[in-house]
Amino acid sequence: MTVLTRARPRTVHRARSVRNRDGWWAAFFLAPQVAALLVFLAFPLGFAVVLAFMRWDGLGQKEWVGFDNFAAQLSDPEFGLAVWNTVKLALLTVPFGLGLALLIAVALNNVKGGGFYRVLYFLPVVTSSVAVALMWQIILAGDDYGVLNASLERWFGISAPDWLGGPGWVIVAVAVVTIWSSLGLNVVIFLAGLQTIPPQIVEAARMDGAGSLRIFRSVTLPLLSPTIFFSTVVAVISSFQAFDQIYVLVDPADNEGARTIVYQVYELGFKDFRFGMSSAAALILLVLTLLVTLVQFAAQKRLVHYDS
Amino acid sequence: MNRALAVLGILAVATTACSGSGGNVPGMSSGSGQVTIRWSTWGSAEDIKLYEKFTENFEKRHPDIKLKLEPVAKYEDYHPKLLAQLTSKTAPDVFFVGDDNIGKFVSAGVLTPLNDKLAGPSSKSKPEDFFEGIYGGAKKDGQIYGVPNDTNPEVLWFDKKALKDAGITEDPAALNEAGRWTMATYLDMNAKLKAAGKAGSIFWNWYGSTYSMINGFGGKVWDGGKFVATTDLKARAALQALAKGYQDKTFLSADLLPDSNGPSTQFLKHKAGFYAGGRWMIDSLKKGGELDDYDIVPFPSQTGQPMPGAVAASYLALNKDTKLPEQAYTFLTEFVSKDGQLIRLKDGGAVPSVKGAEQIVLAGGYPAHAQTFLDVRDTGFANYPEEVAVPGLTADINEHLMKVWTGKVGFDEGMTQLQKLVDGKLG
Repeated sequence: MTVLTRARPRTVHRARSVRNRDGWWAAFFLAPQVAALLVFLAFPLGFAVVLAFMRWDGLGQKEWVGFDNFAAQLSDPEFGLAVWNTVKLALLTVPFGLGLALLIAVALNNVKGGGFYRVLYFLPVVTSSVAVALMWQIILAGDDYGVLNASLERWFGISAPDWLGGPGWVIVAVAVVTIWSSLGLNVVIFLAGLQTIPPQIVEAARMDGAGSLRIFRSVTLPLLSPTIFFSTVVAVISSFQAFDQIYVLVDPADNEGARTIVYQVYELGFKDFRFGMSSAAALILLVLTLLVTLVQFAAQKRLVHYDS
Repeated sequence: MNRALAVLGILAVATTACSGSGGNVPGMSSGSGQVTIRWSTWGSAEDIKLYEKFTENFEKRHPDIKLKLEPVAKYEDYHPKLLAQLTSKTAPDVFFVGDDNIGKFVSAGVLTPLNDKLAGPSSKSKPEDFFEGIYGGAKKDGQIYGVPNDTNPEVLWFDKKALKDAGITEDPAALNEAGRWTMATYLDMNAKLKAAGKAGSIFWNWYGSTYSMINGFGGKVWDGGKFVATTDLKARAALQALAKGYQDKTFLSADLLPDSNGPSTQFLKHKAGFYAGGRWMIDSLKKGGELDDYDIVPFPSQTGQPMPGAVAASYLALNKDTKLPEQAYTFLTEFVSKDGQLIRLKDGGAVPSVKGAEQIVLAGGYPAHAQTFLDVRDTGFANYPEEVAVPGLTADINEHLMKVWTGKVGFDEGMTQLQKLVDGKLG
């Protein structure tokens, strides 16, 4: 008993000491990341929040204007158009992009030696978004130089619209390019998810007489739902943040059909030198993104199955 | 404690590493006593090549100064980058500023006032060597903050063959020389060209064309710090004539023409009578046109007497934070001087901004009325200081007018919205 009593505090002490040491090492290795987060995330975010309540041209004095910037943006038809275009882009890219990626992933999961195709699908992901946009510009150009329209005209006699020139089709064109460039990443994520599904369950369903479609609907989809949920959240956020490809593909200054919220933020800040207004627009985007993500998390409770 | 210090040390190193290198600040000095002057401008690789001769010449005469050009390909991307550099105190020592952005940089106080320097003994050109009208927003309260690099006066190129095909026998340049080049005559020629199945005129949608037309109608764009183009009756008549012309295809917007059948192509194929542009058109004509078919004339006026036309300009400014103000100014003054412009503009399509370098425009003898470029420059105007003081305002006005030109917005409603837009931005 005495021995035990003595031994116990010693063990506790040693354990605490080991924990302390681990804690210090953890702090040591995390410190650079924490510093980077503070410098590159926390400070700019805080600065943007404060700036949203100010009038500032980027060079002169800052002036506190309260909620004026938010009110101005929320009543600005251009901002409304930007929000609508952003929502349209998300509605086009998320379901179609993820649906296509899921189909390809299921096909690749059943193909032996699918590594080649995986590389093929992943190539656009590692290609510079500017290069991607320039290539699609050549394909989608509305005049005789456009590869797509020239081909449609020559082979099928179809007179296709000016995809990038007018406000009507431009968001569809942007959605196609976005889907194409993010397809590989979504395929890889879905493939990883598909490979976590225990083959025994699929086999058991097959033995019970389920066909491929039934297995896909009743086994694959429910078990893949956490992955689909993750991809959906990420895809919605990234479509809300679309900018670089759009800017190169079709400058929204020339085609208002391509004006998105992030372009509005860029234009207000760096073209009009209205950094307060630009920060307010960015904060509204942040709130919108948070709201949509919250809705997605709420839906998750009913649609996502975490038990296998 | 030691571990805590180590963690703090790492944090400090990480923070310092993130704060940017010290080598990117204006004015750099190498160990050999030679200093580097950073300067920036926009332009294609072809445009940038024109500066090589000047740089070579300058560095030979100033072995203690090395020039480092930091170009940006697209004009639209140039000013956002410059603003970011100025905010972070990493802007070049000397930089170009466009005529639609100069006002904001002037009022922000980031440019060195140049009057004393320009008038000083080391200056290669005096303030009065540059035409008053083209200082535009670079001059505020008598103080000069940017010197015009070069200019491009907006004139009307006309196609003699297209005019002849449309049954027009009078020569616009001859009418101008006789003091009979009126707006009524010009519009009548446009109508005849339209009737002959051609376009009357091709315009780029920018202030140069729009405000030259307003001036031609005798109207005002800005008056006493107020935007009056939508309320001044003559200015409104000019805008209405433009809107009507765009909608019945008498006028074509170069911005809306496809690349494969762009404005130059249409003009070279004799499908339009007039094309509003600068001296840069010579290059396009040399590449594909019968040079003798083309000549230039200024925008017409109501009376036939010369009126001020728009002149595109850019300015060279000195960073207020430069650590090498003397060397930076040496570069600036030589760049904009007569000799500098003679070197730089020899093979380009611009018109000198300084007095005494006129031979660049006249030496080649083309077009026949090349003197018109100089006349428009001497009496013309860069974009209005009130307008360029508000960043993005000119672009917004153009963007809105495009809606009116294309009929997306009715004329009266478009004018109301335009006034509201400008007032809101001036707010």
